[in-house]
Amino acid sequence: MSDQKNGTPSRGEVLKRLREAHGTTVERSQAMMKEQKQMQNAICQFIRETPKTVPEIAAEIGRPTHEVLWFVAALRKYGIVVEAGMCGDYPLYQRAKEVQV
Amino acid sequence: MPENTPNPESPAPVEPEEIRVGVYTCHCGGNISHVVQCERVAKMVGKLANVAVSRTDPSFCSDAGQAIIEQDIKELGINRVVIGACAPSLHEQTFRGAVTRAGLNPYLYHHVGLREQDSWVHASDEEGATEKAMRLMAAGVAKARLLDPLDPIRLGAEKQALVIGGGVAGLRAALDIARQGIRVTLVEKSPFLGGRMAQLESIFPTDEKPRQLLHDLIQAVTAQVGITIFTQAEVTGVSGYVGNFSIQVTQHARGVSPEMAEALTAACTQETPDPFNYSLTRRKVIYQPYPGCYPAAPAVDWQHYDGQPIQVNGKSIVLQDDALVHELIAGAIVLATGFDPYEPRQGEYGYGELSQVITLPQLIRHMALVKNGETLTWNGHPVRSAAIIHCVGSRELDGVHEPQADGQVNNYCSRVCCTASLHTALEMRQRFPRLNIYELYQDIRAYGRGHEEIYRHTQNAAVRFVRYHGDDGPKVIAAPKGDPYPVLVQVKDYLTYGEEIEIPVDLVVLAVGMMPRQVDDLVNMLKISRGADRFLLEAHPKLRPVEMAVRGIILAGTAQGPMNIQESLAAASAAAAKAASLLSLGKVELPPFVARVDPAKCNGNGACVTACLEEGAIALQTFVENGVEVQRAVVTPANCTGCGACVGACPNRAIDVQAWTLAQYDAMVDAIAMDWPELVEVEK
Amino acid sequence: MSLDNLHVDALVVGGGIAGMQSALDLGDQGFQVALVECEPSIGGKMITLSKVFPTLDCCSCITTPKMSAVAHHPNIKLFTYCDVQSVQEADGGYRVNLVQKPRYVDASKCTGCRECEYACPITVPSPFDRGLGAYRTIRVPFSTAVPQVAVLDMDYCILCGKCEKVCAAKAVDFNQQPEPFEIQASTLVVASGFELTPLGAKKEYGGGKLRNVIDPLMMERFLAPTGPYGRVLRPGDGKEPTSIAYVQCAGSRDTTLGIEYCSRVCCMYAIKQAMLISGALPLAEITIYYMDIRTFGKGYEQFYQNAQAMGVEFIRGKVASIREDDDQNPVVKVELTEEGRTIERTHDLVVLSLGMVPVPGSNTALNLPLGSDKFIAIPAPNASPCATAHPGIFVTGAAMGPMDIVDSIVTASSAAAAASAYIREHKKEAVYA
Repeated sequence: MSDQKNGTPSRGEVLKRLREAHGTTVERSQAMMKEQKQMQNAICQFIRETPKTVPEIAAEIGRPTHEVLWFVAALRKYGIVVEAGMCGDYPLYQRAKEVQV
Repeated sequence: MPENTPNPESPAPVEPEEIRVGVYTCHCGGNISHVVQCERVAKMVGKLANVAVSRTDPSFCSDAGQAIIEQDIKELGINRVVIGACAPSLHEQTFRGAVTRAGLNPYLYHHVGLREQDSWVHASDEEGATEKAMRLMAAGVAKARLLDPLDPIRLGAEKQALVIGGGVAGLRAALDIARQGIRVTLVEKSPFLGGRMAQLESIFPTDEKPRQLLHDLIQAVTAQVGITIFTQAEVTGVSGYVGNFSIQVTQHARGVSPEMAEALTAACTQETPDPFNYSLTRRKVIYQPYPGCYPAAPAVDWQHYDGQPIQVNGKSIVLQDDALVHELIAGAIVLATGFDPYEPRQGEYGYGELSQVITLPQLIRHMALVKNGETLTWNGHPVRSAAIIHCVGSRELDGVHEPQADGQVNNYCSRVCCTASLHTALEMRQRFPRLNIYELYQDIRAYGRGHEEIYRHTQNAAVRFVRYHGDDGPKVIAAPKGDPYPVLVQVKDYLTYGEEIEIPVDLVVLAVGMMPRQVDDLVNMLKISRGADRFLLEAHPKLRPVEMAVRGIILAGTAQGPMNIQESLAAASAAAAKAASLLSLGKVELPPFVARVDPAKCNGNGACVTACLEEGAIALQTFVENGVEVQRAVVTPANCTGCGACVGACPNRAIDVQAWTLAQYDAMVDAIAMDWPELVEVEK
Repeated sequence: MSLDNLHVDALVVGGGIAGMQSALDLGDQGFQVALVECEPSIGGKMITLSKVFPTLDCCSCITTPKMSAVAHHPNIKLFTYCDVQSVQEADGGYRVNLVQKPRYVDASKCTGCRECEYACPITVPSPFDRGLGAYRTIRVPFSTAVPQVAVLDMDYCILCGKCEKVCAAKAVDFNQQPEPFEIQASTLVVASGFELTPLGAKKEYGGGKLRNVIDPLMMERFLAPTGPYGRVLRPGDGKEPTSIAYVQCAGSRDTTLGIEYCSRVCCMYAIKQAMLISGALPLAEITIYYMDIRTFGKGYEQFYQNAQAMGVEFIRGKVASIREDDDQNPVVKVELTEEGRTIERTHDLVVLSLGMVPVPGSNTALNLPLGSDKFIAIPAPNASPCATAHPGIFVTGAAMGPMDIVDSIVTASSAAAAASAYIREHKKEAVYA
């Protein structure tokens, strides 16, 4: 269905049109990305050397535990964070070696 | 006849080729990998001779997983495939499809059941399970090296189906199959169609009249082109296989000609308890179960007819059962053999000992016999108070309930009795407003669409609910002389915090569950399985929910388990869909796992023929070898089930089951019994 | 792919287990079938489950081969990420107007390699994991998705172009537009499925507010090997729960919610999850608060008895409310109906056994008459259990009311039988290939 042969708009035109149409969501998403980057960096920084639990990370970076867990789960899914044993009832998480964020 | 069967005498020559085995160890979504260290297994197997690639995946059966295998076949020249995964019964076919799509013969693939044979049974021994997986996979590779390409046995399929059972499910299945252009023979044991549904008076949740619905369905069936109906008929012989079953049906005579029916019925004096009314009434041995039945002509109850002459117009007539035998061919068989209500034990809740204890089906018939506007009576006494006890013959507990004659207790829930009881209670409330009604239950299972509404209506209709525990059920006893009510029901009521109560009643109604019809003959003839609950067993509750493990045998309705009418209809239509899928293309394929004789090793001693368990699967034939007549065994693949009885009987190792040859077994045993250090060596 | 003038014998709406089974049964008989799914992948709710009762088969082991069979079937054309816009009767059949939603990825080029997903800088909640897991703005929806094609969510895209840059197949296409198309079908099979009762429907239970009060599909994801945490943790703070409670009938048999019916599956999934949790967390204590246990299917009562024998605690009681203590633990206030007193019990995690409701908006284009339960009405359930009020339109699975997978598969085959008979009887020309 992307079989656009004749009259295909240039890539620049396409992106411009999308930017106009989705201006508010692009802006909102950019802000979201910024916040996500900060959060991910803060988490990864804190667990670079020593594995920590979600409540420990949350206390360190001053964010609610459920939010931290969500980010840790996302980082784990993409191989940036790995599980590293348990501390009581809580799994420990550590920054994976040799992986770039 | 088989269109294309492998020639047993000259197996296709195998071209010499480099064997390149692809090995795939599946995590099975954790089922295997939670116990077996799949990566270690894959690494070890990858080092075995001829293994060109060894991989793991969370689920090779997924589209992406299958694509990996297909890609390897195409790009790495893999020509033997070994997959360690769930049981072959689950996904062997799936992977054969993938192998075929990649252009490889589907039988150059071997399936190792790592889940059932390893991870599930050794869940607490990871190391041992991992070692076992290595050995099983190594055996798989050893076998795969010796696999030959095979072709399935292709057979023409008769576009005809046999439906056994003329109740609502059998009728529906017959109609829906015939509507697909497939001829149907419907065989019903009794002289009349309609089955158990005809004995009901009102169907929940719509309050429709069951005999009217049956009438409409039977009319559709009789108007449908391509349906032959045999009543008073039983299947007395089956041979053959999917696509081509030969069936013998024995049909009893109706016993009375249409012109004599009226006179004979009038003159007949012999009576027997009427099963239509669950023996509450009696009927003649020449009978129609109810007005409007189909076929309308009366029939003789041969089981009860005493053979005495009947006097009509001065003539003495002895009724004759001149049974007919019909021979039929069918590509598929639908079993719609239905259920019987559970028959309570003598003394179970007073049944058979206290005359005031009856079953729910009996109550339904009894209420049908009470004219509108009359009061409900039992044994001539007005019924002022009645208790319905749920779960009789259902949800029984081992160690609590007395086993039945065959040693079984009915653990299962019969699912229809809750709503049926509530529905009946509502009808009682409407017809007999002053009656006290009690429902003694464990859990109310009003699960279906519109059922919960019936429950709520019952609660609002002054029906009293009493909740008992299954391990401490109600007791039914005769009331002491002089009590105003004849029977007492004693029960611990958990709706009033376990209070012991005594309910005085005139009638106790046992909401009996469903039992499968006794079909031992069919089970033996068709070589089919029953579950622990004794109902006929489906091949897989989700993958093949209305098919049996024997191909071409399909289930419809309560032969498979308790169902209500709506569910029976849906199951029957589903059975029709399966029959149509199987037969509408006019051909079926059977797996090529049949015996193959090596004529060079066969000396014609005939041990295989003696050992063979099937009819016509293996026979001796005369050949001329170097001018000498010799006897050699020859297999008829369509009749062979690949059981291997002949293989073991042959003293010359001349017979193999294809894809399971003796040489392959030898190689597998060697691999399984590999010394552990050798295994470790390989693993390094 | 040409979308013009497609004529099929049957159009199946919905690619969950019921729709897939109907399509397979019709395709196997030689009928031409179009299967339309609004999500980017087929598989429906079933593909998100962990294991299935009563056999405890791994769910993807049952579902993914069916998905694969649909995708490879010579008689089935698959249309994913398509919405049904309208349906009109035409030429003795139905004309269905659909729209292909833009994936911003060329499905014919994408190889499903997920390089774009790894390159994408924005993480968003994944509905596949009920929002508790994450994926990227451009992603393959889940690992076993069919088709294995990425989809870009324009609502979260910043148009940075990183996905485009890493895509070796040059499949990313920002120029895609919604594309309307039409299919003519002799008959329709509606398999539009169900949704759970909203988690927050019953305010007293705190669903949606209390982090450790979850819905059952969340627990399915925790129990699945591909789940968001890779293990069972409570979503409030990542603690491994040692005390887990199930509140039965939390979205069913409740007149205050307007959901008066029984949802049929909740007893069994709660018992199944309890068994699976016992396997994953052997020390966990599991309590099921219930009014009636309804394990009525084949083999289900035995399953219930097994769970009791395994030590799952069944308490007959009505849960009045749930609050949270200072450690995020849900505190359940329950009236013990067999003892006549009310107690409070603290658990680590509470699962509300929510019921089934129709998918909002699923009937807009079809406009079929509904029952009082809002599911598609069946005018003659005891004669034609899959026929809707419109001749030639059949319904299967949870679109016709709550049902489990076994029943969905049986009704799917039943609807296929009804549909195929209808095709043969109403379409005089030969339908065989």
